[in-house]
Amino acid sequence: MSNQIPKEIERFNVTFRIQHVLMLVTFLLLSFTGWALKYPEVEHAKWWVDIWGGPDMAGKIHRVAGVGMLLDFFWHVIYLGYLIGTGKMGFSLTTTIIPLPQDVIDVAKNFAYFLGLTKEKPKFGRFSYIHKFDYWAVFWGMFIIGASGFILAFPVMMSKFLPGFTLNWVWPLLRILHSDEALLAIVFILFWHFFNEHLKWGKFPMSWTWITGKISTEEMKHEHPLEYEMRFGKESDK
Amino acid sequence: MRKILLFFVPLLFFWASAYAADDCLICHSVMSGNVKTAKGESVEVRVDAAGFEASVHGSFECTECHVNFMSGPHTPPGGKLDSEVAALVPFTSKKSKSSPEALAACVKCHKPIYSELKASVHGQNIFEKKEADAPLCLDCHGNPHYIVPKTDPKSSVSHDKMLEVCGRCHEDEHIVNKYGMSHYVIEKYKESFHGKKYILGHKRVPICDDCHGAHLVTKIDAPNSPVSGEGKVKTCGKCHEGATAKFAAAPAHKYIGKDNPIPYYGEKALIVLLLGVFLFIFSHVILESIAEIRDRVFRKEDHHE
Repeated sequence: MSNQIPKEIERFNVTFRIQHVLMLVTFLLLSFTGWALKYPEVEHAKWWVDIWGGPDMAGKIHRVAGVGMLLDFFWHVIYLGYLIGTGKMGFSLTTTIIPLPQDVIDVAKNFAYFLGLTKEKPKFGRFSYIHKFDYWAVFWGMFIIGASGFILAFPVMMSKFLPGFTLNWVWPLLRILHSDEALLAIVFILFWHFFNEHLKWGKFPMSWTWITGKISTEEMKHEHPLEYEMRFGKESDK
Repeated sequence: MRKILLFFVPLLFFWASAYAADDCLICHSVMSGNVKTAKGESVEVRVDAAGFEASVHGSFECTECHVNFMSGPHTPPGGKLDSEVAALVPFTSKKSKSSPEALAACVKCHKPIYSELKASVHGQNIFEKKEADAPLCLDCHGNPHYIVPKTDPKSSVSHDKMLEVCGRCHEDEHIVNKYGMSHYVIEKYKESFHGKKYILGHKRVPICDDCHGAHLVTKIDAPNSPVSGEGKVKTCGKCHEGATAKFAAAPAHKYIGKDNPIPYYGEKALIVLLLGVFLFIFSHVILESIAEIRDRVFRKEDHHE
């Protein structure tokens, strides 16, 4: 390894890390306090909601955490706007989080590799389709769960903005959207995010990037080879 | 029965001093078992003295309600029935096992509530349609000897028990069809936001009577209905400060069928979306795990870098 190549480099700056921690805390609070309401008739639902101070308190925590998560989301979007606007964040096909046709090809390639149809793994840039899926799921969740939750939390105020023709169906729809999408989000985090960032071989108990913001160049070479090549050039050794 | 009574004879002196004012309870608080009435019904003879005393009617004499006895060894006090009680007796005798006069006695004192009941949809079924299964006082309020304030959790019409009380008829397929009532109201309430919180034990969440009223319950299209039109706006406003007609238009616990396609098919579409995403992430995670194990165990040489 040549001397110009550092041992580790920063993957997420401190602002992104704080935004992630806020997202994590509010997500857990929302999941825990909302969970009993999904299936209230099951045996332990009452026991569970009482841990959170009873249904009344759980509802209050849920609303505060919900508004907190929305604010975190807006902060993130505004911060991105600032980074792009001031030229601090550029665009490159190798480092972008925006889904590209290549991602679909990568999914197919990866499945082929899992199934033993090919011995070649797809080469990822800064964000693989796994990360992109993880990231945009939050956006999707914010629009669907965040918006429906906000309307459901402040129904009298929000009803003033609802057009008349929606009144007969919008409330049941919002309730189903909020509830089912929340279930989707929880299962998604449990299986997708936890597997990919905690349980994968070599990652257990977790990838520390969320605290340190750093990724070792060694890891980058294996998991983000295209970004590695972009930064340090193709390595001819090995 | 006699044996039981003999067993308690020594106790009589004790009870006699404690309940001197209430001769009936001397025996009826310590008796046990049931007796058969002339109608062939089995009636419990025991009245729990402590429970009765603690009830809102604990200071009453038994004979204030029990004017006549259907059968048994006692001489009834007799006396003239209150005219409203007398008018109600033909209807209570359809429900009563032993003492229709006692069952009708509530209206002697509870006149304003009685007139509400008569004006309600329940009242119409009782007095106009003369249906035996239409609810009168005790069908909801339970055993008359132990009636406690509604705020007491032991009350049979307490906040916690209300859904079960109304559900006895409104969930009964036969009764629902007979009277042409709305289907699935209890089930759909349980699935509503209010209902889910109710099941979890929320104390202030509205239950049946909070919106529909208790004694003056009406059909939804009645002009004085508290759950349609202007009445609903006022009802919602009891909790949701500033509620408007637009807000009150929200269905509370309506059955969502194909006639309301957006939420109906919306829910189906969501299920497809969820299953689709689950299929993708589960298969991805499982296949990747297997592939990783395969790589580590069978393709070791690939990883000696």
